[in-house]
Amino acid sequence: MSGNAAAPPSANDSLTARSPSRARRGTLTTGVAVGIAVILLVVGLGGGYLIGKNLATSSSGNGPSYTITETGSTLIYPLMNLLGPNFTALYPNIQVSPAGTGSGTGISSAEAGLVDIGGTDAYLTPSVAAQHNLINVPIAISAQLVFYNLPGVNVHLNLNGTILAMIWAGKITQWNNPLIEAANPGVSLPAQTIIPLHRSDGSGDTFMFTSLCYLSWSGWPGGYGTTYSWQAGQPGYQGNSGMVTGLSDTKYGIAYIGISYLAEAQAAGLQYAALGDQAANVNGLNPANYILPSPANISMDANLALQNLQPPSVAISLILGGVPGATHLQLGQGGTMPTSTYPTPYPDTNLEYTLISTHPASPAKQKWVVAFLEWALSYGNLPAYMQAVHFLPLTAEVIGYDMQALSSVSVSA
Amino acid sequence: MDEPISPGDRPAMGRSPGISEPAPPAAPSAPVRAPSLRRWLASPLALAPLILLGLVVAVLAIASEGQYFGLSFWGPVWEFIPTDPAGSTYGIALFALGTAITAGIALILASGLSLAIAIALTTYLPPRTGRILTTLTDLLAGIPSVVYGIWGFVVLAPYFASTVEPNLRNALGWLPGFGGPESAIGGGTGLLLGIFILTLMVIPLTTAVMRESLRSVPRDVVEAGLALGATPWEVVRRVRLRVARRGLWGAVFLGFGRAIGESVALAMVLGNTIQYPPSIYGGSYTIASFIFTQLDSAFFYPELLRALVEFALVILLITIAFNLLGQRAVSGVRTRTVPGAGGRA
Repeated sequence: MSGNAAAPPSANDSLTARSPSRARRGTLTTGVAVGIAVILLVVGLGGGYLIGKNLATSSSGNGPSYTITETGSTLIYPLMNLLGPNFTALYPNIQVSPAGTGSGTGISSAEAGLVDIGGTDAYLTPSVAAQHNLINVPIAISAQLVFYNLPGVNVHLNLNGTILAMIWAGKITQWNNPLIEAANPGVSLPAQTIIPLHRSDGSGDTFMFTSLCYLSWSGWPGGYGTTYSWQAGQPGYQGNSGMVTGLSDTKYGIAYIGISYLAEAQAAGLQYAALGDQAANVNGLNPANYILPSPANISMDANLALQNLQPPSVAISLILGGVPGATHLQLGQGGTMPTSTYPTPYPDTNLEYTLISTHPASPAKQKWVVAFLEWALSYGNLPAYMQAVHFLPLTAEVIGYDMQALSSVSVSA
Repeated sequence: MDEPISPGDRPAMGRSPGISEPAPPAAPSAPVRAPSLRRWLASPLALAPLILLGLVVAVLAIASEGQYFGLSFWGPVWEFIPTDPAGSTYGIALFALGTAITAGIALILASGLSLAIAIALTTYLPPRTGRILTTLTDLLAGIPSVVYGIWGFVVLAPYFASTVEPNLRNALGWLPGFGGPESAIGGGTGLLLGIFILTLMVIPLTTAVMRESLRSVPRDVVEAGLALGATPWEVVRRVRLRVARRGLWGAVFLGFGRAIGESVALAMVLGNTIQYPPSIYGGSYTIASFIFTQLDSAFFYPELLRALVEFALVILLITIAFNLLGQRAVSGVRTRTVPGAGGRA
């Protein structure tokens, strides 16, 4: 009781004793608030300056200044980030401002005319592209790897589209499944449950991977796209880096990951598979038909698939590029895709696309957008740039298509 | 105990104006004197949130085109076929289930813990320690949710996968929901981690509101209780909690608002799988985190976008409904605890 009675006065004492320290804290708080306000002001002014610069077409010495805006695929973002400053070094009036937001955003922003360049892992169906006055301009070749977390197994497993499709469809549930064992003679596989991972965000990688499953196995349910209805219980992760971290935490897991993340995945102790080509899908027993994603094998896939396209086009999925007579995949519906008739060395290969308008709001600015892409396709396509972001240079055929497509863009002389 | 308190409260409030003029006329005269211009300006301003809310609902309803508000929309089947979006099934039930489990459990845990913290801060801890703890919980409230998400995903998930969940499975495996095959644990992301992170995110908010409402209990009411020989715990239970009940409920509903709308952090730690969760280790989605993860893809497929907009509409209406329910509960509580309150207002 006496303790209770003593409590309120002590609270009162501390109230009066606190006043000076409160005042000090007040000054400190004011200082911090002013500091934050100053930082916000600087950031705001800087942003305003950049926006102003973007809009400005005022001449300054050598000619007008422009900021070329790009948004979209997070896979393309590092490449744009690398090419932009190098282009600005040559043409100081031109800035390139890229943003990694996702392929869906890249396409929708390009369609709405919000950006000069939309970046996407999946091409825009030619009929839809024409509707919005956009053209597909492939800018690099990328590939997808299948990584797994198998304690005690440190070799490249042999897998193919059929096996992968059956794993993600829940038809193959154990690592020591006879189909996997048959493709990997001499490897002792654990009797453990496979945990297949997927990308939960909208993803060009999901588009590639579900395309591979769809083309490889007739039992694959639910088609292919940037998002997909996965089997219950399969964990989803955000982004490629989320997949790398998630897989390294998941024993007996398996995941599809873009080749840009090869170094990170290997640093996390993950191993990747050799994938079977078309012959391996037909006859999964011959290990010679399983191909590692080496630069040469990936380039060869793109080369062969594109050389044999009838009619020529760059709006093409390179997944299993050689299924004879197969209709190639497209997003959404409408339009018939060209087919190639050649076997694919590394099956899980893709083109990275930029989308630009053929009828731009500002032809004067579009001249520089086209100039930037032409530079990116010639000098920017050198292995020195491409290897830095784990992409592969385009083949001569694709560059030929691109240059022809760019010449159709209306720009001011 | 009730009777000596409420009368003790009212004279205390009336005492200070009572010095200059009689209490009864002073109280009502104050609001009447408000300048008419200010009142004229204030009424549309007060309506602004309502107008905004109405606009949001209207825009969402129009954008969704009501295309999938059929029976299957409320069902548990989500089967999006990218090659046939028009023939796909867009059911919300499993996401609603994930939302109910994560937000419900997190809110119960957070409310209990927050109440304990708030009682300790206002009654038991010395003022100095209390101030430090208050600053700390307020700091936690300011951390962006994406930071909680990254921390949960990068730091906690591996620890949950290697240590927490296997031990929990060994110790409580007999309990429904805590067992299951070893492979159910996976990479550590799932309901358990999601609920843990969400609880951490809600606690600072509920603690701050509960602390302030306990603190706002008039001191003379508390002292009256102590003077009558009540122990500090009796004062907490019978005085502070009763008088502050309205604010405490407010805290719970605010916490619910935060828990139900959280998307970014949960997309990182909740396991992102569409299913009836087989155990506490299994993955799930909330409505909000599902909208967040699917948004980029929805730009490819107009039907998917419309379904997601309908999801957003549902979550908005749930939030509004719970807020209205909360306000009703709160006003009911007020009339019950202070029977003579009408005279003062």
